Amino acid sequence: MSNEPTPPPAGFRPGELSLAREALVLNNRSFSWVTEKVCGIVEGPAPKWWYVATAASALLALVCFTLIGYLISTGVGVWGLNSPVGWAWDITNFVFWIGIGHAGTLISAILFLTRQRWRTSINRAAEAMTIFAVICAGIFPGIHVGRIWMVWFLAPVPNSNAIWPNFRSPLLWDIFAVSTYFTVSLLFWYTGMVPDLATLRDRATNLWKKRIYGFFALGWRGANRQWRHYEMAYLILAALSTPLVLSVHSIVSFDFATSVIPGWHTTIFPPYFVAGAIFGGFAMVLTLMIPARAIFKMHDLITPRHIDVMCKILLLTGTIVGYAYLMELFVAFYSGNEFERWAFLRNRVADPFIFGPMFGVEPAPYWWAYWAMMLCNVISPQFFWSRKMRNRVIGVWIICMFINCGMWFERFVIIVTSLHRDFLPSSWGMFHPTWVDMWTFIGTFGLFMFLFLLFIKFLPMIAMAEIKGVMPQGDPHHPSADEAEAVHLQEYRG
Amino acid sequence: MKRSFQHPPERLNGRKYWRSLEEQAASPEFREWLDREFPAGAAEMEADGVSRRNFLQLMGASIALAGFGMTGCRRPEGYLKPYSNSIEWVIPGKPLLYATAMPRRRGAMPLVVTTHEGRPTKIEGNPLHPASNGGTDVFAQISILDLYDPDRARPIRLDGQASTADALVAELAKLSQEIAADRGASFAVLAEENSSPTRARLRAELERRCPRLTWAEYEPLRGADEAAADAAAFGRRMRVRHRFAAADVVVSVGSDFLGCDEGGVEASRDFAGRRKDPSQGMNRLYVAEHRYTVTGGMADHRCRLRAGHLPAFTVALAKAVAAEIGNADLASFADGVRIEGTDPALDAAWIRGAAGDLASAKGRSLVVAGALLPGPVRLLVHAINGALGNVGRTLELVPSEALPAASIADLAARITSGGVKHLLLLGGNPAFNAPADLKWADLQKSVPNVIRLSLHEDESCAGARWKVPAAHYLESWGDALSADGTYLPVQPMIEPLHGGVSELQVLAVLAGLKFSTGPGLVRETFAARTGGTMDETKWTAFLRDGLLRDSAAKPVPTAFNGGAARAALGMLPPVPAPAADDAFEVVFVGDSKVDDGRYANNGWAQELPDPITRLTWDNAALVSPATAQKLGIQLDKRASGRTDTARIVRIEAGGAALELPVLVSPGHADHSITVALGYGRRTVGRVGAGVGFDAYPLRSAAAAFVASVAQVELLPESRVHKVAVTHGHWNMEGRDLFREGTLEEYQENPAFAKTMGMDGHIPPNVSLYKTPTLDMPEQWGMAIDLTVCTGCSACVVACQAENNIPIVGKEQVINQREMHWMRIDRYFASADPSTPDPEMVMQPVACMHCENAPCETVCPVNATVHSGDGMNVMVYNRCIGTRYCANNCPYKVRRFNYFDYNKRDVLGKWKPPVLGERSNLYKGPLGPLGMQTEETLKLQKNPNVTVRMRGVMEKCTFCVQRIESERITTRVKAGHSSDPAANLRMPTDAVKTACQQACPSEAIVFGDLRDPEGRVAKAKNNPRDYRMLEYLNVLPRLSYLARVRNPNPAMPDAATKGRINAKAHAAPGDSHGGQGEQGANGDHGNPGGPKADGPRGGGEKH
Repeated sequence: MSNEPTPPPAGFRPGELSLAREALVLNNRSFSWVTEKVCGIVEGPAPKWWYVATAASALLALVCFTLIGYLISTGVGVWGLNSPVGWAWDITNFVFWIGIGHAGTLISAILFLTRQRWRTSINRAAEAMTIFAVICAGIFPGIHVGRIWMVWFLAPVPNSNAIWPNFRSPLLWDIFAVSTYFTVSLLFWYTGMVPDLATLRDRATNLWKKRIYGFFALGWRGANRQWRHYEMAYLILAALSTPLVLSVHSIVSFDFATSVIPGWHTTIFPPYFVAGAIFGGFAMVLTLMIPARAIFKMHDLITPRHIDVMCKILLLTGTIVGYAYLMELFVAFYSGNEFERWAFLRNRVADPFIFGPMFGVEPAPYWWAYWAMMLCNVISPQFFWSRKMRNRVIGVWIICMFINCGMWFERFVIIVTSLHRDFLPSSWGMFHPTWVDMWTFIGTFGLFMFLFLLFIKFLPMIAMAEIKGVMPQGDPHHPSADEAEAVHLQEYRG
Repeated sequence: MKRSFQHPPERLNGRKYWRSLEEQAASPEFREWLDREFPAGAAEMEADGVSRRNFLQLMGASIALAGFGMTGCRRPEGYLKPYSNSIEWVIPGKPLLYATAMPRRRGAMPLVVTTHEGRPTKIEGNPLHPASNGGTDVFAQISILDLYDPDRARPIRLDGQASTADALVAELAKLSQEIAADRGASFAVLAEENSSPTRARLRAELERRCPRLTWAEYEPLRGADEAAADAAAFGRRMRVRHRFAAADVVVSVGSDFLGCDEGGVEASRDFAGRRKDPSQGMNRLYVAEHRYTVTGGMADHRCRLRAGHLPAFTVALAKAVAAEIGNADLASFADGVRIEGTDPALDAAWIRGAAGDLASAKGRSLVVAGALLPGPVRLLVHAINGALGNVGRTLELVPSEALPAASIADLAARITSGGVKHLLLLGGNPAFNAPADLKWADLQKSVPNVIRLSLHEDESCAGARWKVPAAHYLESWGDALSADGTYLPVQPMIEPLHGGVSELQVLAVLAGLKFSTGPGLVRETFAARTGGTMDETKWTAFLRDGLLRDSAAKPVPTAFNGGAARAALGMLPPVPAPAADDAFEVVFVGDSKVDDGRYANNGWAQELPDPITRLTWDNAALVSPATAQKLGIQLDKRASGRTDTARIVRIEAGGAALELPVLVSPGHADHSITVALGYGRRTVGRVGAGVGFDAYPLRSAAAAFVASVAQVELLPESRVHKVAVTHGHWNMEGRDLFREGTLEEYQENPAFAKTMGMDGHIPPNVSLYKTPTLDMPEQWGMAIDLTVCTGCSACVVACQAENNIPIVGKEQVINQREMHWMRIDRYFASADPSTPDPEMVMQPVACMHCENAPCETVCPVNATVHSGDGMNVMVYNRCIGTRYCANNCPYKVRRFNYFDYNKRDVLGKWKPPVLGERSNLYKGPLGPLGMQTEETLKLQKNPNVTVRMRGVMEKCTFCVQRIESERITTRVKAGHSSDPAANLRMPTDAVKTACQQACPSEAIVFGDLRDPEGRVAKAKNNPRDYRMLEYLNVLPRLSYLARVRNPNPAMPDAATKGRINAKAHAAPGDSHGGQGEQGANGDHGNPGGPKADGPRGGGEKH
């Protein structure tokens, strides 16, 4: 099997070639090249950096779990929460991770249903990212409660007290929404992986690998009937996941939107949160895929076109988010409600340099968080108007890092700055994170990276079966369809 | 085998029924069959050797050993011990109330104490006596914690070795003989002021045996020349009483009579009584003071003046009054008050206005002098009252039984001269709080035999030969006289916890009497006061009522004695010169929480925010914003929340230096520094250790309250002090939370508050939700009258005592995690430091019990729900601690247990190798248990209120335990009545919440909204009633009655009074000035610019 690019097929004239849409897999790679490339990562020996990175992220994950142990044994007081600010980094991190978990299912489900064929090179990794991000997110609502040993009260199980959870509480909707989302995303991911697991099984040289991959491949033989069932199942799961993509973050936003606190009590939140989640999720996909593409030399599978398309989505969703930010300000102004106006002007916008002096008010205590959010989420994606910027991989990666930070700040701004100064000035205060807050959050990155590193080592990072379907060679009418097929066609027509 | 419990055979009464013939026969086989859970053979497979049951047992045991059985998590075993013999009166679960009294510096406070199974748990005022009328102050509320303080002195020690009460009594008896031999020449007593007639009787007995003994009394917060001035003005053995109920115009010169000075509870109630119903007219209060006090906050006009200028102010006031009423005597008397130094610049128009008002209310006015005024000025104040014809009307004189006593300075002189061999220290703490120039600690060491009776092991115990733990007033028999001379019993609620001995017991033995453990000594006094013979009926009534009825002293018609006063003016030390205009004065004040330092080891006191500064766990140097800037302190323009670091100043005065944190206090006089006394205790228990800074070394006998500062210097920024301030934001930010108006506005439109701010133009609230109907006969609600609330904070501590609210320690207060269910929001009308005279308002805030409670909808586990009687109830067992409810509470009244405050050590410090010092709480389960887990402190807990664990939310419950208790009583009564259904309704105003009960000015009313006769329904019908944040449509059950001020139109500052809601009132340059962008709050129709004097709250005009 050679890695040499094959010459253009004989039947094409040069003019025709240039008019054709850019292929989703470049350099006219063959099916077997794709299989070799993707399975090679799993089958080959792990590179040294992988061990180092895995050990480092495992250590961080361990820090996270140790601190959770400290939190549970000692009390929520080890965090910096206080009386006006009852939620801070815990829920910020939760919403942040849940938001990241949006891109995967969006790519897999919505882009699948809308027949966006470019999704195939990135959907597997994006879905894995979703699963891991939701795991990281799920930690926080679990551990942030005061009495974790009573957390089962949230589950609607019949009990002798005949007390049900409060179905009016958005926090309860959260539990249902997130757990449903996680379950469906996991099933979706796994279903999509079955043919590829079978490929790994078939190629495995080690008995145990064969058995394990074989177990998870569910006896896949690639039969026509299996393909029919598989595709039907995949379509159904895609259809199931699609509303979930929209519902999860809408419901997360209800945690805030249904409250009475100025800065939370905002009807724009559901679409704003969904757009923000897609924005943040795509940024995280790019953050992960760009290094992976470089390390594993997958430039032919994840092409500049993929990056370009994702940058355009970032630009679109970033602009929606920016619109939402401005609309919040406008509505606060237009409402005439002094508390709403305070929440936006005096708690967020007023900085010590421009807007504070302009409105003649003191700087907001968290102005830096608000403006960091604006810079990262609204200004930085505007670079993507330029094709040049979209094609500069390193530049794209840097902007994505900005967006990742910005999306964290967005949630911090919404949660902490709204809480720290609400209705009664007597109870105003500030939130100061403790080292436990910080290291628990950093630790979740360790957990996330640890899971992701395991994923790239043990599972096919790219959906081989799917990508083959969108390769030029996958088209039966492709002029370079192999000889046997041509003969077969001739006979058929014969 | 299943264990069979050998129940005794049932006694047969009535017919016997049986299920089978075997049961009827009750054969042994049948009995065995009954005892077994399963019939023989069903559970065991005998043939195997290992039965199924044994197998399961073994497996179960192995799982348990493996840890799956949670063997380590088993709850500790506890035993309930019933009384083997029933105790008289005690019904388990039912509290018993006893009347008693708390001895105080000025008289005593009549109390009713709740006891549960023999342990006092809560203190209330005695409603039968006007000095309390059911209300209490902070000190009465916190004193119960002192009783249970695990750090109390114990046991009796002789030369450091544990001794016994018998040895002590023997020693005292011996000493009694010894001192009688030299007629007391070698003996001296230093005591606290106390009104107890029994003590006076024993002292007289002791002095009869030892006429040459020195009996000295010392109270650090009592004005030095106070007694001399009063005696000169009205004759000896007269006690001055202020009758605020009769005063239309009150001028306070440096007196905090609504706070911790003078009148206390009675003054608050009388004063409030004249303001409660503005439609009946209001009294008017003028205050001249150097710092904001709660009295200053209540003032209609306040003159901010350095304490050193108060004498000059009084002279100017006297002259102005003299001019108004044409009294040349008063003018010449005022001239006779010699004040050294230059005349300060006084606001002549202000003084003229106040004098005019005083003159127009002759006989219905009152001038009150604070303890910090020197003797001649106090005399001058009496002269003003005399000239105004107030003596006998608003200023009553009642005969006093107090015996003359030597001062601490006299005693010090005697000790120095070497005559004193035996010194008895009864209470007090002179080694800590005596004037610094006496060097008391050294003096005390020069006395060979010091007998020290004290509640705590304190500074004055050092070197004492005998250290005797004193019995708390709740542990001992005694008596007292209230300020009006009513005779009050002090009866024990509990046996002395640590073998304490009372003052009376010690004195009795020294006076040659027997050691008495019962009420004997008091009974003798009682008999003597009630006609010479012991009348048991009267005695029982005395103990039951907590007072001897009709025993109040009759006021004596005495006039101001001008001649004697003039003579005294020459005798009294002259008024010291105030500090030069650009120099600083330091003013020592009693603390609103720890008093003179006696409550320093009381956690409730330490964690209670100071009414003005909201400072906890510390004292500080208070300065005005201008002075702070002069000292070099950058004012935090943001004032975004709480300040938790304070710069440190070094103050040199009276030959000593003190370094302490400095706090900026709006409304403080410039060039003046206020330091609260009582902090920085050196020998103290675990609570008071390391708290605050001791100002006593700066305080000499000559400059006991106001001293000139030799040097004041701000220490570099590298040295800051962490301060725990619970409420940092001074400014109400133009919001309509606290509403006030002037009497004029009230007369024009009594419902002025209803249309203020947003409420003037919000559309009618509609709810999409159908709220469940509240179907119980009673619907609870509360109203707080802001016109009479002074912010004294008695309600906050009363709530803490009633509801088992833990303290959290200084570090957690800094972390904004204090647990008080009730807090007092204190706002200054302007946060702008350039406005030197802001108004100050107080607003108590507790759970509002909203009908559309935002907390209830968001709780995912139904832990906070609505009750049928309209309360928002908190189910601790159900709470998992998501804190969502607290976030969604617009009033931020919910409190979360971030740590196990009731179990873990909130006081101790942990020094981990990194990250600096932190509280032991952060050690979690590895940390030590807290002091609050000690047995004595557990005794204080209210058994009807759950002690909350960590991780649960808590908040005000409207004292639901009191409601339920009353409901049970009503139901029991209804059950006995002929028509139970008709009698199920609880009687009108049957329930009082703890805060309501404690409130001295009766600002808080609680009750059934559906009962038109009830106090709360009447309050809600008051036109001044308004609800905070009405537009949210949460329908709070707690509403406020807007404050009405009564400014004098003739005063220069009249236009600025009662205008806290007029946003345009903010000073020019204040960034909160033209807040067009903030929405129209009180500025309807003109949101663009400042309006200096437009109509406010003009919603009704639209």
